[in-house]
Amino acid sequence: MRPDLLLRLVCALACGASLAACATTPVQPWERAHLARWDMRWDPDSVQTAMKQHAYFSKEGSNGTIGAAGGGCGCN
Amino acid sequence: MRPSAPLAALLSAAAALLPAAHANAADSDEANTRASYRFSEYDEDALHGTVVGDPRRYRVLSQQLAVDTKLDGGAWGLKLDATHEVMSGSSPWFVAPDAQQHPVQVLSGATIRDHRSALSVALTQGPGTSANTTYTASYSKERDYRATAIGVERSQPLDAATTLGYGGSFSHDLIEPTDAALYNRITHATKNTASTFASLAWVLDRDSVLQAGVQVNLGHGYLTDPYKLFSYGADIVAERRPDRRVEAAGLVRYRRSYAQIDAALHLDYRYAQDSWGLTSHTIEASWYQGLGHGWRLIPTLRWYSQSAARFYAPFLAAPAGQRYYSSDYRLGTFGAFSTSINIRKAIGRWEFSLGAERYHSAKGLALDSGAAVPALVDSTRVWAGLDFGID
Amino acid sequence: MDLHRYAFSSMGCPCEIQLETDFESGASAAAAKAQAEVARLDEKYSHYRSGNWLACLCASAGSGRAVELDEEATNLVDFAAALHAQSAGRFDITAGALTKLWDLQSGRVPAQAQIDEALARTGWHRVEWRRPYLTLPIAGMHIDFGGVVKEYAADRAAEICRQNGVAHGVVDLGGDLAVIGAHADGSAWLAGIKAPRSPEKVYASIELDRGGLATSGDYERVMIVDGKRYSHIVDPLRGRPVESFASVSVLADSCLVAGAASTLAMLLGVERGAEYLRELDLPWLALDADGRARGNIESAT
Repeated sequence: MRPDLLLRLVCALACGASLAACATTPVQPWERAHLARWDMRWDPDSVQTAMKQHAYFSKEGSNGTIGAAGGGCGCN
Repeated sequence: MRPSAPLAALLSAAAALLPAAHANAADSDEANTRASYRFSEYDEDALHGTVVGDPRRYRVLSQQLAVDTKLDGGAWGLKLDATHEVMSGSSPWFVAPDAQQHPVQVLSGATIRDHRSALSVALTQGPGTSANTTYTASYSKERDYRATAIGVERSQPLDAATTLGYGGSFSHDLIEPTDAALYNRITHATKNTASTFASLAWVLDRDSVLQAGVQVNLGHGYLTDPYKLFSYGADIVAERRPDRRVEAAGLVRYRRSYAQIDAALHLDYRYAQDSWGLTSHTIEASWYQGLGHGWRLIPTLRWYSQSAARFYAPFLAAPAGQRYYSSDYRLGTFGAFSTSINIRKAIGRWEFSLGAERYHSAKGLALDSGAAVPALVDSTRVWAGLDFGID
Repeated sequence: MDLHRYAFSSMGCPCEIQLETDFESGASAAAAKAQAEVARLDEKYSHYRSGNWLACLCASAGSGRAVELDEEATNLVDFAAALHAQSAGRFDITAGALTKLWDLQSGRVPAQAQIDEALARTGWHRVEWRRPYLTLPIAGMHIDFGGVVKEYAADRAAEICRQNGVAHGVVDLGGDLAVIGAHADGSAWLAGIKAPRSPEKVYASIELDRGGLATSGDYERVMIVDGKRYSHIVDPLRGRPVESFASVSVLADSCLVAGAASTLAMLLGVERGAEYLRELDLPWLALDADGRARGNIESAT
């Protein structure tokens, strides 16, 4: 069951990749002013996110976000 | 003072030619070193309904200090993060059936008072460039729990619009429950967790980006909660969970800029499934709104739903030889909805931040239905923070 | 602190570097290096030399060959491409054919047929640019970096002075200024903008203590035929010199950005140019052909 799920997720990712690749005209380096804004980061306030994710981790059954997991704690 | 859109376009075009001039930007985000302090208080609501034991629940006061700096002229980035938390309150112990076989939550009468300290370090090679590698290490210590973890993650561009990210981490945890002899708990156990992820990020157009990733976590060792009991037939025994857990998760994140109104939309969706039978969905949406003069308002909505682990049950009145059993509400079927608001004000090199979140969980908020989960938690969290850019 | 001035000629205009240092030896060493950098850029990117790197690039036009540019040239081309996009095609470094045609020294207005022929050899949209490879598809296409390289050179010269220990000074390349640092006593440098129709008079003095000031105008290089003024700034879409402001000055964090803004404003014409400058929100000052001044700079005259 789990390997099947993983396969499905990888396929979805690959399909997403090919879809995005044929999407639109590329964005030039000088057009990236909006993308460089603070509010366009994946994680604008990473200190706050760490605290928030820790709180959710301690009261929910599942793990949190993507990315290298930090250490554990006794709260789950 | 934020530049106008056409000026920002000129500045970003000129950046490659005049890196020194670009570094003169007054935005504190460009500062070489950034220090952050956060204080937060987390309070769970008292339990209503039938409860045995002190219904007042958990309270956590936490402080975090982080420093983010560049070394060697920007070739390396170093982030140091120190956290200290003080936890107190009572916590769910086990669930017992009452005369009508309805579940009654029994809380640990003892007021737990514990504190946790943690330190983590992240060293990045090539920060600010699109190809970079980050090495992480962290250590967390509480009275009964110690965790040590290391990790590495890499980000590299595949082409002008696509970035690949991947990495892995490993954590070794040591559990030494308090009052082990008194409550007949295990005295000493370890747990190892390995995790790996891969993600792709695309620049869709000049105002939007999309990221999709998968993660697999493998846990092996003592995965049970040593403090929790279970009503197994006529006995109250320590709960038992399997000693392996594999979780696979997929995450999609979308960011859309509405720079003309000084705003941005964040949308995140995460799906996870694990070998204990637990499936979860998380949707989180935030709206970042600039209000001028350095003010920002960020409301967030989050919905979470999980289905129970296969071996979850509030109690087993007539057990039939089940190997694993737990009444920990965190393994039951429930959903949670939370709303939060964050207000920020930037003044020169400083940024002040204030926030509050209200979290409500209930069985009805879940996608699936399942066995009763008494003692679902409602909580309030407030925080205050300070960021300072040093050059 | 003493003021040391070093005058020289480069980029087809009179240049001067003014430095305030304790010791003359430090100033002259820095000035020499800055001057060498300006000369290097002049040599590499000058439209008017034959046999330089740029001439070789233009010689490859029409051959279908892609030329690999070095990092500096690549970044300059990227910048020019950005300006092309922001000006809806009016800023165009491939307008070299047109610039050569409108030879102001000759005093002749080219015939329409000649203009059309030069237009056929112009157009950034025709160029293949996959950084760092540039392919000029039409033989006779000329790249003209004139709109960016002088301002870039001013910033580079200022940076070199800073790197050589000079903290107070200003670089002036034919009216495009890049500040190294304010005067030693903290006061700003005073730049005088020449009145377009009477160049010996100053119509505005602008204070600057950092960044750059660039001025675009039709008075330094202009041709007057039958009473009509033809400036050296050619509109690559129509093939003729623009009818625009007499002079536009912009202040920015770098001379490069200031120059891009003033050039774009000139190319867009008086109304669209003024609108662009207002939206850009940098300090600016402009005089139109009738002598009317506009802008948001408080000038000290």
